[in-house]
Amino acid sequence: MTLALSINGRIRQVQAGLSDTLLTVLRDQLLLTAAKRGCNQGVCGACTVLIDGRPQRACLSLAANCEGAAITTLEGLQRDASMARLQKAFAATGAVQCGFCTPGVLVSAHALLSHNADPRTDEIRAGLSGNLCRCSGYRKIVDAVAEAAKEAKP
Amino acid sequence: MSVPGFHRPKSVEDAARLLAETDGARCLSGGATLVAMMNASLAEPKAIVSLAGIPELAGIAELANGGFRIGAMTRHAATAGDARLAGTLAVLRDAARQIANPVVRNMGTIGGSIGFADPAADYPPALVAANAEVEIANAAGRRRVAARDFFVDWYTTACGPGEFVTGVYLPPPRPGAGLYKKLARVSGDFAIASVALSAAKDANGVSIRIAVGGCGPRPIRADAADALLSAKFGDAAAAAAAGEALAAAADPVDDVRASAEYRRLVIPRLVAETVAHARAALEAR
Repeated sequence: MTLALSINGRIRQVQAGLSDTLLTVLRDQLLLTAAKRGCNQGVCGACTVLIDGRPQRACLSLAANCEGAAITTLEGLQRDASMARLQKAFAATGAVQCGFCTPGVLVSAHALLSHNADPRTDEIRAGLSGNLCRCSGYRKIVDAVAEAAKEAKP
Repeated sequence: MSVPGFHRPKSVEDAARLLAETDGARCLSGGATLVAMMNASLAEPKAIVSLAGIPELAGIAELANGGFRIGAMTRHAATAGDARLAGTLAVLRDAARQIANPVVRNMGTIGGSIGFADPAADYPPALVAANAEVEIANAAGRRRVAARDFFVDWYTTACGPGEFVTGVYLPPPRPGAGLYKKLARVSGDFAIASVALSAAKDANGVSIRIAVGGCGPRPIRADAADALLSAKFGDAAAAAAAGEALAAAADPVDDVRASAEYRRLVIPRLVAETVAHARAALEAR
């Protein structure tokens, strides 16, 4: 059945059944593949997107329940200055290894910096605690977020 | 536009009617539990009643008596961040801020969590220690059940078929301390064992409520433990005796996180640590 979802500022018509998640719709219909299907259990964080401005799990969100919500994926943050700083810092710092977790980490880091512009190391670690990196490259990820915050200072 | 079988009612009454009259329907709150189970093919609801469109279920409201009502759809992040839950009620905030991670705390709700009633979850012992009541709705109306009676068995609550949690009632906060200590393999994991404690302090002395999580089919409590701690709060021997009473009342099992034997050993130590921290918090006031 057809649903109208607000995704990255545009209303998109999608087909969804009762058990289809937002992640399935994003990846398989809209070909917005930044959000990854990792565990599909809400544990790994690879599917993290913004729903009404807050980072949430696309894999735990039923598509039918997302009507009326404003959904922002990593693709929708491509012209965002804070995201650009994060992406540059991730590349420069070597925070991307296999890259599978990176989109989810970037969305969580973006949300963290939007309400805490100058986080301490422990605050960065807590802010990213819902995102697993199976390459275990956490140290450089934390360094990259700190670097992006530093870059944002006037 | 709609998906067959998906309902998003605007009132508790409509939701209760839909649940009662729809075969195989399940309630959806934040999705952190139900959708995960659907993705794992452990739940295949024929119909879903989303509670997301019911305004009265969202948020924390102060009551005329000075207590609070936490709506069932209130996210863990909102509960963790509400400074009005102070004194003895701080036990609930302390539990909420230790659930999972920031992203899950933006999704998960108090109604969904306690309705699922995983005994290793963080809210069940905290609600018992806070002396909370759980509000349940059905097609005929609403009723309230004390938290200590709401949790019945493993993943089983006082909710019957066609019933769902609509909120949690907290008594007025009393001056004192409330805290939640969780022993887990990593931060944000389910508890191997946890201790929730509320300590009310006034001119007449100290009154303690304590409950243990993760160590049996439902939150573990013992009248003897509350009485021992209330009579001699901060006394090491009383804390040890209370810990032994709670360990004796526990009914732990072996699972991937720890053995039953380990849990029995660790309860008194976690109780002693929690009491020491609560005493320090009271003295710092």
